[in-house]
Amino acid sequence: MQCSLPVYTSAVNAKIVKFWGQAGLILATLAGTRAGAQTLDDGIMLSKLKYCTGVFYSYDYWNHYWEGSLSRVNGNIGTITTRSVQYIGNYGLTDHLDLLVTVPYVYSRASSGVLHGQSGFQDVTFGAKLKTVSVPLRGYGAVRLFTVLSGAVPLSNYTPDDAPLSIGTHSKRISGRATLNYLGKNGLYMNGSASYTVRGNVTLDRPSYYTNGQLYLSNQVAMPNQFDYIVSAGYRKNDTTLTAAFSQQQTRGGGDIRPQDTPFVSNRVNFSRINATLTYPLPGIHDLQYWFLYSNTFDGRNIGEANTLTTGFLYTFDFHKRVTPQ
Amino acid sequence: MNHPAFSPRRVFGVAVLLIAATLTSCTKSIPSTELLSPLTPATTDADAGNWRMILLTGPTQIPVSAPVLASDNGYLGELAAIKAAQATITPSQQAAIDYWSAGGVLRWNEILRELVARQDLPPSPNPDGSYTSPSAANPFANPQYPFSNPPYAARAYSYVTVAQYEALKAVWYYKYQYNRPAPSKTDPAIKSLMPATGLPSYPSEDGVESAVNGTLLKLLFPTNAAEIDTYVAQQQQAALISGRAAASDIAAGVALGKGIAALFTARAGTDGMKSAGGNPALWAQLASTARARGETAWVSQDGPPRPPMLPVFGQVKGWMMSASDIVSNRPAPPPSTSSSQMANELTEVRTAVNNITRDQLSTVYKWADGVSTPTPSGHWNAIAVPYIVSAQMSEVRTARVFALLDMAMQDAAVSCWDTKYTYFNPRPSQLDPSIKTWTGLPNFPSYLSGHSVFSGAAADVLTNIFPQGATYFSAQAQEAAMSRLYAGIHFRTDITAGLAQGQKVGEFTVRFAKTDGAH
Repeated sequence: MQCSLPVYTSAVNAKIVKFWGQAGLILATLAGTRAGAQTLDDGIMLSKLKYCTGVFYSYDYWNHYWEGSLSRVNGNIGTITTRSVQYIGNYGLTDHLDLLVTVPYVYSRASSGVLHGQSGFQDVTFGAKLKTVSVPLRGYGAVRLFTVLSGAVPLSNYTPDDAPLSIGTHSKRISGRATLNYLGKNGLYMNGSASYTVRGNVTLDRPSYYTNGQLYLSNQVAMPNQFDYIVSAGYRKNDTTLTAAFSQQQTRGGGDIRPQDTPFVSNRVNFSRINATLTYPLPGIHDLQYWFLYSNTFDGRNIGEANTLTTGFLYTFDFHKRVTPQ
Repeated sequence: MNHPAFSPRRVFGVAVLLIAATLTSCTKSIPSTELLSPLTPATTDADAGNWRMILLTGPTQIPVSAPVLASDNGYLGELAAIKAAQATITPSQQAAIDYWSAGGVLRWNEILRELVARQDLPPSPNPDGSYTSPSAANPFANPQYPFSNPPYAARAYSYVTVAQYEALKAVWYYKYQYNRPAPSKTDPAIKSLMPATGLPSYPSEDGVESAVNGTLLKLLFPTNAAEIDTYVAQQQQAALISGRAAASDIAAGVALGKGIAALFTARAGTDGMKSAGGNPALWAQLASTARARGETAWVSQDGPPRPPMLPVFGQVKGWMMSASDIVSNRPAPPPSTSSSQMANELTEVRTAVNNITRDQLSTVYKWADGVSTPTPSGHWNAIAVPYIVSAQMSEVRTARVFALLDMAMQDAAVSCWDTKYTYFNPRPSQLDPSIKTWTGLPNFPSYLSGHSVFSGAAADVLTNIFPQGATYFSAQAQEAAMSRLYAGIHFRTDITAGLAQGQKVGEFTVRFAKTDGAH
């Protein structure tokens, strides 16, 4: 059957200054007659009493990064590799409301220099996705509007103050999202989604820090909010998906990485990405779906010029069938 | 199908909007300055004009002529100008008064820490793998001058705080010689918008502080001149509009401050800093000397390899320690790089790094004091602040605290760098490349640990001034020192010998402090 990918919290995107969270822009999904996989930013819902779950593995690497707007390499880090294993769950509470969760475990390492890598559980993300409006186009498919509320909370006491090796920002976040989606009967899939994320203060282990032209005599760091959007198009039918997407993130404040400085947790992290998504139902194994995602960060500010590869399987349980047999 | 008013869908939609609206309206501002109350000194320290000088020969080395009489027309005009200014005070002028009323010495220390952090950036490598040194002659070029690394910063803190302390002692001397009351005491129509200090107003302490800090900060951090000038003007204007000082009080303070700053500028020009960077021949010689002793010589692990940081800083002038004191108090060599003790210490570092706890990591980050920070010297200046505030110290006594502390830490930097480049000892990660560090690896030899020497000296001096804080200062010094072992960048011997050396260095300043007339 169909499965779903909740929030693609690209731990991987950690890069220079991690900015995970809604970064999950990649998604697409499958759908088809039987149901649909879904993500926070796609146009697919899981139907009532279904639970779609699985584990994804991501491999993200970069050796160039934007120090402010300057693309450079750094012999003290070489290539930064961030791997993550994430648990994904997605439950259809009703046909209109899905609940989603992701739990990533992240490992980072630098290929050059002497800096120690970091690892640990990053942030749990919870999401609720509501099918708000659905307009059937007779004979052509349907146009739907989704609203999504999601939040993220750090799962462990990892440090945000060891960039670019920190595994996250350690900031509590809440996002509001709206998605407009068209799915045609012939498999044409078009999706546009935008979100705004409010981020809570981060606490450092040190009593002062310098960023954005100022020395702050506090261990509290104000985190600028973020806006992101993604547009995607492709094919999606019978649990098979092939889509391409373009996404951007803009951070609404924060300073640049200074020359030869380390990144700082509240840096202004912007990026543009291209993304591709493939999903494919495994022949012979009912309700099991293979996923492959790729993204490339081709423009940005205070972030790594990363390639990210993600793969995994999702399986859908149908509690509805079990509860009400026949 | 019916649509009740409270359908889950509607409730959810409204909730999203409400939460988003609430969160976006939150303010997230973080204070960038210390939140301090206006200073009401516990005592005026009226005898401070007789406290022992450090660089000056005495309080009258830079003469200050007597002020005109209170009945002088020129002075009456100055008082009228204050009244006129007070009648049209603007919100930004009021904010400046609130800011500076906490005490100019504390505020300038804050500004100094910010300038150090701003300039604490190592040069980026050139495309061919070389590095360009910052140039004092061309400070705005890339890389900007200075790279305010820990030794540079220790020296900078000490010049600014010692000059300020000398200047305030001279100001105190003349204040009580001439005994001119503050404008708000002379003319009841002038409001006192800062707490009364009971001090005579001529020459103005705000005038002398602004001149000394302004002159020396622009010398040490020239790319920040415009911002520094703004602070200078703001402090002088706040002193005037608040009714604390008349224009002639401030002018006399400024003239005195500039005269004293010139003495320190001259000293800074000939204290050895200009040649502290060494040259390629010297760098090679340091390595070959270490190898000739049969030791593994330090190499840079920066990528690409970077010249060692200020290898001749050990010959820069200290304050309480002479050049021969530095040499005669140099610690014994570290364990040989081929000794079993070094092998054991290497194992200890490897084990520490691979089994670090979150508490230990917090200590590492707290004391990292690396790039873009006020450096260890600034960290210890900040540690002194709450003790100064709670003691309600006068401006001159506050200046004494920073001067003693920063002299000791400059001596610590000189002694530590002398030791580092005498022995040119490798870091743990050089002897064992499997050791990965939890903070940036400093680009200079391992023995002694700079954090340990700085902290040992600072804790010693602060304990002498604030005995009630002895346990805390000692614990902070231990923590700072051990953070470098947890981080994997120092051996145990670097730390224990470093703390001991710091205390030994600190004692030079403590001996001065015990007999300076202020104790």
